[in-house]
Amino acid sequence: MMEKTFAIIKPHAVASKHTGDIISLIEKNGFEIVGMEKLQLSKKQAEHFYAIHNEKPFFGALVDNIIAGPVLVMVLQKDDAIKAWRDFMGATDPLKATPGTLRKIFGQSIDFNATHGSDSSENALLEIRQFFPNLA
Amino acid sequence: MKKIIILMLAVFIVLLSIVGVKNLVTLKNEMATNPHQSIERTFAFIKPDAVAAHNAGKIIDLIEHNGFDIIRLQKIQLSKNQAEQFYAVHKERPFFKELVTYMSSGPVVALVLQKENAVQAWRDLMGNTNPTTAAEGTIRKLYGTDITHNATHGSDSKENALLELRQFFNDL
Repeated sequence: MMEKTFAIIKPHAVASKHTGDIISLIEKNGFEIVGMEKLQLSKKQAEHFYAIHNEKPFFGALVDNIIAGPVLVMVLQKDDAIKAWRDFMGATDPLKATPGTLRKIFGQSIDFNATHGSDSSENALLEIRQFFPNLA
Repeated sequence: MKKIIILMLAVFIVLLSIVGVKNLVTLKNEMATNPHQSIERTFAFIKPDAVAAHNAGKIIDLIEHNGFDIIRLQKIQLSKNQAEQFYAVHKERPFFKELVTYMSSGPVVALVLQKENAVQAWRDLMGNTNPTTAAEGTIRKLYGTDITHNATHGSDSKENALLELRQFFNDL
């Protein structure tokens, strides 16, 4: 089933000049990039984005890391896009990610793991709506 | 004694301000000749043919690794009106209609790039307008097809760069 997911190329990956490489891999792996913009997130936007984690101990670090520099926000479309994008990113911890996955290639640690992807169709919709209200 | 101290203090202050002004003048002259003053911005498109051929990532990779700072990046679909406004300088030219139709035929990536002498540097990286005569290693040689479908656009002057980037990023 054709589906949309929300993705972010995180600040450390943008700063390390991996934006082009990651987009190229997205293009090669059959995702359609239906929305894409480079942005600097404010603290408020980041807190809203990660609101589901606001009770977790890592919430502060999560917010700080995502606002450390510009990010690329994207809406990706593909058959079964949410799972396909999560598979393509690999495990949250780059050390445990399979070779060939984005996090294995571009991730540094669990906090600096190169990319974000929605974890469910409900969250994909919420996340897309926050940044691309006309695509939700 | 008190008077002498005040006098010496006054002379000291005068000397200090002369040195200060001289330093300021030197600093200003240095800034005028400083190459960092020529940091400029240009406007770029990754055109519909290159986006459709899945070459956007490769072109962005070349941009990143050739020292350009990507100030803005947005994937957009141009309307016919937007394309006509963008190419208004060419509206008397025979190729105008074809250009407008082509540029609004599919999504593009709009970019604001920053670098020393960005306008010329980006034109150099793109290569000749006609991909068949473009130098090896240039974007148009690598990803262009013909003179219309030539993968990228770049502003031809500082003045046009400002006009073009403001059409799409009006806060800049």
